[in-house]
Amino acid sequence: MDHKRIRIVGAGVLLAVWVVLTLFAWFGAPKAVSTAERRELAQFPALSGESVLNGKFMSSFESYALDQFPMRDTFRQLKSLFHYNILGQKDNNDIYIEDGYYAKLDYPLNEKSVDYAMSRFTWLYQNYLQPHDAKVVMAVVPDKSYFLARANGYPAMDYDALFRRVADAMPWASHVDLTGVLSIDDYYRTDTHWRQEKILPAAQTICQALGVDAPVASDFTPTAVPKPFYGVYYGQAALPMDPETMYTMESELLSGCTVRCFDDLGHETTAQVYDRTKLDARDLYDIYLSGAVSLLTIENPNATTQRELIIFRDSFGSSLAPLLVQGYRQVTLLDIRYINPMILNRFVDFHGQDTLFLYSTLVLNNSNSLK
Amino acid sequence: MLFSSISFLYYFLPAVLLVYFLVPRKLKNTVLLLASLFFYGWGEPKYLLLMLFSIVLFYFCGLAIGKAKSQRAKKSFLTLSVVVSLLLLGIFKYADFFIDSFNAATGLSVPLLRLALPIGISFYTFQCLSYTIDVYRGNAQPQKNFISFGAYVSLFPQLIAGPIVRYVDVARELESRTHNWDDIARGLRRFLIGLAKKVLIADSFALLIKLFRESNEPSVLFYWMYAIAFTLNIYFDFSGYSDMAIGLGRIFGFHFIENFDYPYLSKSVREFWRRWHMSLGSWFRDYVYIPMGGNRVRKIRWVFNTLTVWMLTGLWHGAAWNFVLWGLLFAVLLLLEKWVPALQRLPVFFRRFYVLLAVVISFVLFNADSLQQAGGDLAGMFGFGNLPAVSAQTLYYLRSYAVVFVLGLVGATPLVRDLGRRVGETKVGVILEPVVLTVLLLLCTAYLVDGSFSPFLYFRF
Repeated sequence: MDHKRIRIVGAGVLLAVWVVLTLFAWFGAPKAVSTAERRELAQFPALSGESVLNGKFMSSFESYALDQFPMRDTFRQLKSLFHYNILGQKDNNDIYIEDGYYAKLDYPLNEKSVDYAMSRFTWLYQNYLQPHDAKVVMAVVPDKSYFLARANGYPAMDYDALFRRVADAMPWASHVDLTGVLSIDDYYRTDTHWRQEKILPAAQTICQALGVDAPVASDFTPTAVPKPFYGVYYGQAALPMDPETMYTMESELLSGCTVRCFDDLGHETTAQVYDRTKLDARDLYDIYLSGAVSLLTIENPNATTQRELIIFRDSFGSSLAPLLVQGYRQVTLLDIRYINPMILNRFVDFHGQDTLFLYSTLVLNNSNSLK
Repeated sequence: MLFSSISFLYYFLPAVLLVYFLVPRKLKNTVLLLASLFFYGWGEPKYLLLMLFSIVLFYFCGLAIGKAKSQRAKKSFLTLSVVVSLLLLGIFKYADFFIDSFNAATGLSVPLLRLALPIGISFYTFQCLSYTIDVYRGNAQPQKNFISFGAYVSLFPQLIAGPIVRYVDVARELESRTHNWDDIARGLRRFLIGLAKKVLIADSFALLIKLFRESNEPSVLFYWMYAIAFTLNIYFDFSGYSDMAIGLGRIFGFHFIENFDYPYLSKSVREFWRRWHMSLGSWFRDYVYIPMGGNRVRKIRWVFNTLTVWMLTGLWHGAAWNFVLWGLLFAVLLLLEKWVPALQRLPVFFRRFYVLLAVVISFVLFNADSLQQAGGDLAGMFGFGNLPAVSAQTLYYLRSYAVVFVLGLVGATPLVRDLGRRVGETKVGVILEPVVLTVLLLLCTAYLVDGSFSPFLYFRF
């Protein structure tokens, strides 16, 4: 075969690849959800004269074409592999890998964001806590970059400045430093969160600050969750990753507890501390206290005290709270990302309960989700 | 619609190619016209009417110039087409710039029009102008077929970011063109090379530029990384688009002019502009500079001509003072090269270095949102403002982008092309080529699937 003919055959092969992908893009069955990315995928947009004229149809179609592209996850993986290994880029979509841990670049310190969070916490204190002279403890959970970024040459926020800013803005709280009792080993490799079976020292430190008996390892039985755990970075990094094993810290005391979840209309559902109905959820971490819930209470009928605890928290609180339950008759968890703080007193009777603010640096540095 | 989008690559283009090659020859221009209008309307439905108006205006003006008996009548129709099209360009692109400048100079508060810039208006207006001017000069015959003329003006491969294809260059192919597998194969290769330049390299630099702007740890090195990154970004973005346009044109049987010829290897600014955006440079030369007298005039008039042409070149790129200064900077450098012949006697290395330095600085001016930002960027590059030489963040991005910089710097030279040609002549090379192109297609698809919306830089012109 002469060169010209080989070139034409080669172009034919290339065109064939193109045509096959095109046919799948046109005629492939659309998917509803991306498991890896933990989100719903865009569907074919409704066509109307108005949507065409204002350009909405076109922009929605672009999203549809991206979301429903054949072998989307494989292509995203191909991009990541090329990005890291051939172009030598240190991060992909802000996700970097160090010592086998996947973490997200989150810098610089967003002082306005921290100040906004502080203003929301101060409002809570002034309206619900100060009138009852509640004992307030603040604990900032460092994200994985605290341990990984600066030490390995990645850009990192000024964590010390963040801790100082929080301490200065919340003089009415006792501040707990968790950095000394945590290390990178206490976090999942593929997820943002800490591992419940590793954070007893953090729970003990917080209990000391609250003035209640601290939990000890012998109180619990670490039990493997019978499903592989792919953390949030599995989808974001789009790289081949081994799943991790998630553990729940089981105990008789926790088995006897009742969890009541409320939405912001006051509708109530009951659940277990470790919610097995979430085994098939998009995020297996939802197994801890049913995941993202604006307001829930853990009733501890076997408590030897009448003390109660209120936790203003983000998702890190879901796995920590069960470790604090034994010191309280009732623990109330409030997530002001999902409920307006101004209506909290409709659901919670604030009467001087111990109060813990537990927030990760990730939320404090990106606090626009706080209401 | 972007060439570098899934909707173009896997929906629009395959559908158009299928219909185009299925219909009989006499309907091919109709398919191209309809496809081009759909392509333009996809991104700018409301400005489709503006483009249709331009097509109608220039079509009838071209016919009228061709039919007019007297020179005066010909001139009247030429003037009509030029004035109306420049008026439209002025209203949609420059009105707010002039109002803003007027307000700043007088202290008045004339309200701005705040019209969105129709995509590609500068490109298709200049193409249309070349048509009526060439018909007036007798260099082109007026196009009697409205469909063919409409297809020329709206031809989607080069509609919104060039090259600026003159009517005379494609007049014959509009009437009759051949299609063969060799052209399709070469067109496909050129298109994919352009796509890879845009998606894999230009967009990587675009991300670095964004990170630089968001950085809170500026350093002198970071400013230089930004300046070089933008210089490479705009080259790969724009030349990548031109490659895609030329490749698509070839698939459809057109042979568009080249628009880039490794400009960063130039040994003078004059040479740079013979290698950079060649279709624009030659347009200004043939339709503005030479009609003004070019360099065959008194020295003072020549200086005036040069300054005017380059100020207009700057303004063509954007309605802002930094673009005017950008154009004038090149005018000054060109005058300097003419007046100081010793510059051309310097060793080649120094001449190339001087051109590169001038180009990098010019693009810092070009890419700034304001003169103030341009001043800040240039000050940062030269260490003013007590900046550290490097910062931890700068070193991180230097490490992270080292390979991209190497690819960009090597890719801006003919090394890859020459290597490709040498290997391509061997049997192994001929077999490897489609493999490499398929890998490029899949990689670009992977980046697009994972990425976000990223328009071409030259769309804003």
